[in-house]
Amino acid sequence: MNESPEPIVRARNLSKRFGGLMAVRGLDLDLYPGRLLGVIGPNGAGKSTAINLLTGHARPTTGQVLVDGQDLTAARPWRFARAGVARTFQIVKPFRGMTVADNVAVGALFRARTDGGRRTVTAARRAALETLDRVGLGGKGDLAPAELSTADARRLELAKALALRPRVLLLDEVLAGLRRGEIDPALQLIDSLRRDGLALMMVEHVMHAVATICDEVVVLHHGEVLTTGKPAAVFSDDRVIQAYLGERFARRAAEARRATEGNVR
Amino acid sequence: MAQFLQATVYGLLQGGLLALIAVGFSLVWGVMNVVNLSHGAFVLAGAYVALQLHDAVGLDPFVSMVPAALLLFGFGYVVQRYLVNLVVNGPIFITLLLTFGLELVLVNLMLYLFTADHQSIPTGYAEGSLVLPGDVRIPYGRLIAALLALALTVALVYVMRRTRTGLSILATGMDRGAARLMGIKARHVYALTFGIAAAMAGAAGAAVGAVSTFSPADAGRFTLFSFVASVLGGLGNMWGALYGGLVLGLVQAWGGQLLPGTLVNAVAFAVLVLVLAFRPQGIAGKPFYASRLEV
Amino acid sequence: MSIVDVGQGQEVAGPATPSAPVTAASLRRRTTPWVLLAAGLLFGIGLQPQLYPAQERLVSTVLMFVALATAWNLIGGFAGYASFGQVAFFGLGGYGTALMMVHLNMSFWLAMAASAVVAFLFAALVGAPLLRLKGHYFAIATLGVAEGLREVVTNLPKLTGGGGGITIPTFGPNAPTRWLGNDGFYLLFLFLAVAVVAVAIVVASSRGGYALRAIHQDEDAAAAMGINTTLAKTLAFAGSAALTGAVGSARAFQLQTIYPDRSFDVAITVLMVVMVVLGGSGTVLGPIIGAISVAFASEWLRTNYTDVHIFLLGGMIIVAVVLLPQGFTNYVRDAVRARRFSLLENVRRYRL
Repeated sequence: MNESPEPIVRARNLSKRFGGLMAVRGLDLDLYPGRLLGVIGPNGAGKSTAINLLTGHARPTTGQVLVDGQDLTAARPWRFARAGVARTFQIVKPFRGMTVADNVAVGALFRARTDGGRRTVTAARRAALETLDRVGLGGKGDLAPAELSTADARRLELAKALALRPRVLLLDEVLAGLRRGEIDPALQLIDSLRRDGLALMMVEHVMHAVATICDEVVVLHHGEVLTTGKPAAVFSDDRVIQAYLGERFARRAAEARRATEGNVR
Repeated sequence: MAQFLQATVYGLLQGGLLALIAVGFSLVWGVMNVVNLSHGAFVLAGAYVALQLHDAVGLDPFVSMVPAALLLFGFGYVVQRYLVNLVVNGPIFITLLLTFGLELVLVNLMLYLFTADHQSIPTGYAEGSLVLPGDVRIPYGRLIAALLALALTVALVYVMRRTRTGLSILATGMDRGAARLMGIKARHVYALTFGIAAAMAGAAGAAVGAVSTFSPADAGRFTLFSFVASVLGGLGNMWGALYGGLVLGLVQAWGGQLLPGTLVNAVAFAVLVLVLAFRPQGIAGKPFYASRLEV
Repeated sequence: MSIVDVGQGQEVAGPATPSAPVTAASLRRRTTPWVLLAAGLLFGIGLQPQLYPAQERLVSTVLMFVALATAWNLIGGFAGYASFGQVAFFGLGGYGTALMMVHLNMSFWLAMAASAVVAFLFAALVGAPLLRLKGHYFAIATLGVAEGLREVVTNLPKLTGGGGGITIPTFGPNAPTRWLGNDGFYLLFLFLAVAVVAVAIVVASSRGGYALRAIHQDEDAAAAMGINTTLAKTLAFAGSAALTGAVGSARAFQLQTIYPDRSFDVAITVLMVVMVVLGGSGTVLGPIIGAISVAFASEWLRTNYTDVHIFLLGGMIIVAVVLLPQGFTNYVRDAVRARRFSLLENVRRYRL
């Protein structure tokens, strides 16, 4: 496991107010290269807002976002992208009038110029084709986005983000709506990205995926961090169960646990 | 001071009429996201209907507001149902072009039928004025026009908010898909909306005919005033058209006192641009509408 | 690749074909537009001696509209920001040139360049707040700017001659530059048209074109992919303004006397938009086809049905917009791909 001591993305005390609603409050987050952070929480917990705050799509009311030491707190989305922070959207946003390959080429054309390569349209298209192969869309470059299946549309969304050659990738419910058979290849792909050294954050509802693949999990509830920790610990935490399923189930789970502990003793 | 008061009175009176002209325009924009560039032509059409009725049977123009409204309603309904509905799902400049073409057709038709001569509809009493202390004059014609205009606008708001038809119009405006799922016939509702807007414009036109001169060349000006009043007041809000109309009337009246020539129009445009740039939801509109009205 | 794809990048295609690497085919696709443009230039030059003066003036006007429509397409077609006040830059270019030549005795060429710069800066300034608006709001706001500019020009008679117009001296000792004559203006508009189309080709096939198209289709996603949307939009807007201003400058010199109502006439903007929409927005060829067809159609109507030609023009616009909302070039491209040519079916595209 590659564990770099320094996080690429560092968020401190992030909060976001929409009128009278405090969507996110006091959020601290660190994203390390080669590690996958899961973000879970009931609906309305502020998960998408968190991603928006980390990518410039929402302006923090308080707090700070540092990317590679650079303060990008109130920066616009394109600056985050150029700094190597990429994201997918929960409701996929392909460029409907362009081919799949061109969709990805856009990212290749506008990423930060770190490798000295020339950003011509031809080079971008070539890079786009490589990225499409990487996510499993090889050969579908000339299709229209509307012609893709749900799973493939998600792959396109991922390819677009990867075209930026990001160092940080934020996934917003990328597994939603996928069938069982489609989830495993997706997880393999995400895992390979982690092994490549990307710092990953994954907002998800598909719990078994989070349990399987995340290094660490953050639970958001009403905009605040409820708890963090390894997946196993978080999933058996009473407070988490209560947040998701309510008081009754939390009590039952606690009773069940005490009963088994009692039997063991 | 007396001049300022007089200007204010004129501004309010004119503003009431502008409100009636603008409310239909704002309704169509808010509900269907259609900017009707031929709206001013509908106003003129109403004026000419009133003129013809006056010449033919001596009908008072204020009474002609009714037949003008009815005729324009029918016309507007047909235009929306069988023409504008054809392009409503496209990008906005398609509907803009369509309504612009319609404007060319209507204005030139009126030029052909009635020539470009300025006309007006004389009534015996419109010339006289109520005179207030301080020598402030309130011409009867303008007073009646303004009161009728306000009454119609209020009546429209009531109809929109309290009747089933009105509510179905508002609902379709907020979420066409959902409205259709609830059994509302969107094509008909859109046509109804446009018809109502045309009716209001026609009625306003009859009133305009009574209080000032008009000619087909005025169509563009009325459309532009509708813009400014609608944007000022805020879309998606009929009271907004009222506020917008009144404010515009006042700005024009005061501006006319202070500024030379037609520079006052430049002020109106500047106000339009500034409002759009810094407070697109206008005085009374909700930010929801400002953000909703993309493409 | 058919000719209508020229300069567009790969647009939405039909059934899947294997993703092609860079080949001779794509090389040909990239040079074809330039070859065609050069051919057009030569054709224009060769056509000139064949024309009577009146025809020459007509073709000059058509070329002017080719330039205007193509320039509008940069902001309205590619970026999707339908500017309904584009004539503001046309008038600004015209009046800027007139003022510089009358009051500062500048040569026309210098004045034209300076007017383009002025239009660029004005658009960048005005675009700062306005490009944050979307859809109708942007269209109306730009319309307001154009109308406001017209009123300002009308109400500064000492400077601009007000409603009575201003005349550029073109003969004699006062004239900084001699009037170019019919032949001269024909060539000037030809070169302007070629220049603007060249800009369009460069934009369409470059990074900038991708940026604008991405912004048009999904501005949030475009921003998330590293596109500085503000910069891209502003450059497109100001760039198209500068080109429009240069054309306006040439037109003013040609007319010699200009009036605010004509120089800032909203009908000019509408004509630009109609030409682009009917020709096919977002393509390089579209505005050219649209400009040529609409300009000739309008002229034909004017000579043959003088009294009612505007009425007929309005009717024509209505019919064309209903039958061909996506524009001619896009219609041809889609029809050829899907092998469906029915125009009536086309009507269903956007109907409620």
